[in-house]
Amino acid sequence: MSEVRVIQIHESIFAENDRTAERIRERMEKQGTLFLNVMSSPGSGKTTTLVAVINRLKDKLNIGEMDVDIQSSLDAQRVADLTGIRALQIHNGGLCHIDADMTARALLEYDTAGLDLLILENIGNLVCPAEFDTGAHKNVTILSVPEGDDKPLKYPLMYQVSDVVLINKMDTVAYFDFDLEKARERILALNPNALIFPISAKTGEGIDAVCSWILAETERVKRGA
Amino acid sequence: MEEVKIIALKESVLEDNDKDAQNLREELKANGTCLLNLMSSPGSGKTTTLLALNRAFAGRLKWGVMEADIDSAVDALTMQQAGVPSVQLHTGGMCHLDADMTRQGIRALGLEGAELIVLENVGNLVCPAEFDTGAAINMTILSVPEGDDKPAKYPLMYETCDILVVNKIDALPVFDFDRERMERYARKCNPDIEIYYISAKTGEGVDALADALVEKVKAWCK
Repeated sequence: MSEVRVIQIHESIFAENDRTAERIRERMEKQGTLFLNVMSSPGSGKTTTLVAVINRLKDKLNIGEMDVDIQSSLDAQRVADLTGIRALQIHNGGLCHIDADMTARALLEYDTAGLDLLILENIGNLVCPAEFDTGAHKNVTILSVPEGDDKPLKYPLMYQVSDVVLINKMDTVAYFDFDLEKARERILALNPNALIFPISAKTGEGIDAVCSWILAETERVKRGA
Repeated sequence: MEEVKIIALKESVLEDNDKDAQNLREELKANGTCLLNLMSSPGSGKTTTLLALNRAFAGRLKWGVMEADIDSAVDALTMQQAGVPSVQLHTGGMCHLDADMTRQGIRALGLEGAELIVLENVGNLVCPAEFDTGAAINMTILSVPEGDDKPAKYPLMYETCDILVVNKIDALPVFDFDRERMERYARKCNPDIEIYYISAKTGEGVDALADALVEKVKAWCK
């Protein structure tokens, strides 16, 4: 019988990405940097949330931020202007996500030595970013109240891969038909270990709880646990 | 519970999506059917807008809806309960639909004599903008809570679309949303884009959008 060569292209791309992601994670671990990947729909308040969190933590932690967008630099500029930390804008040339290799290339341009916390603000999208390990220690996703409590039903993978879900724009909950308990149930059905924090990046509600979680995680990375 | 037809789409093997899309557009034109591709972020109110349009169409159009999602059948069920013929399309994890997937959906919907078929695309501002589905009209929704900077961040979406619907205007007092800034960004991407302000929830502005759509559909089907 003649032999046929079979190549699993799909799988190998992901396998290669996972290896690169693992290398990034190990490197961050070694230098004592907690690496967070923040994902959400467009306009759910990633940048506003990060500004609120960074401003509360910047005296305690040395923080870096990398912002991914298709072609604009509005977000990194906003983070830098409003927090005073060093922010890097990554333009991904029209792609719907950032993978570990792209993250590794961004890290060549951005000195992370001495950082306690590195945040990656992913592209606004609930589909593609969920599929690619970026090398982050923890995945954080934001669901904003105006988007509706049905998002976990429609984009299940995002919630399966997220360790933390921030429910943002809680200050507008009276205005929209959003059932927090239903959202919570739907998230936990996909991922029973997900930590859920209701917040308002605008009013500051719930941000302290998120900061406490981040501080505990930075300690964990430093201990090498 | 009511049953909804769910179709698992197969990924297209065709190399040339643009050509396939053009063929589909011509087939539909010959059939007297206008295909509208509706795109937006997740949660900007695509399904609620379609429900509001259904009321405003008031029987002027024979129409149906294809709801594309990664998972779940909630949207098709909602439309069906409102009396609009619908089919739920599952993309198998894909972030967009191409022309061949759209054709599979139209076949599954099987609506004889439809003047308008709406494809409610996957909630995403990146990938759907890159694939011509064969639609005669591309329409995007930007909801007020998402912010006025979206056209600056996802320019291809606004370049591709003929119509921009700004939804949830009833929530304008609660959010910092600058109409002029948004329009400036949107028109920079596409100077000819038609902009409609609506609240699918309260019904404000929906009649003007519905009238414009009826007119465009009738003109296409002639």
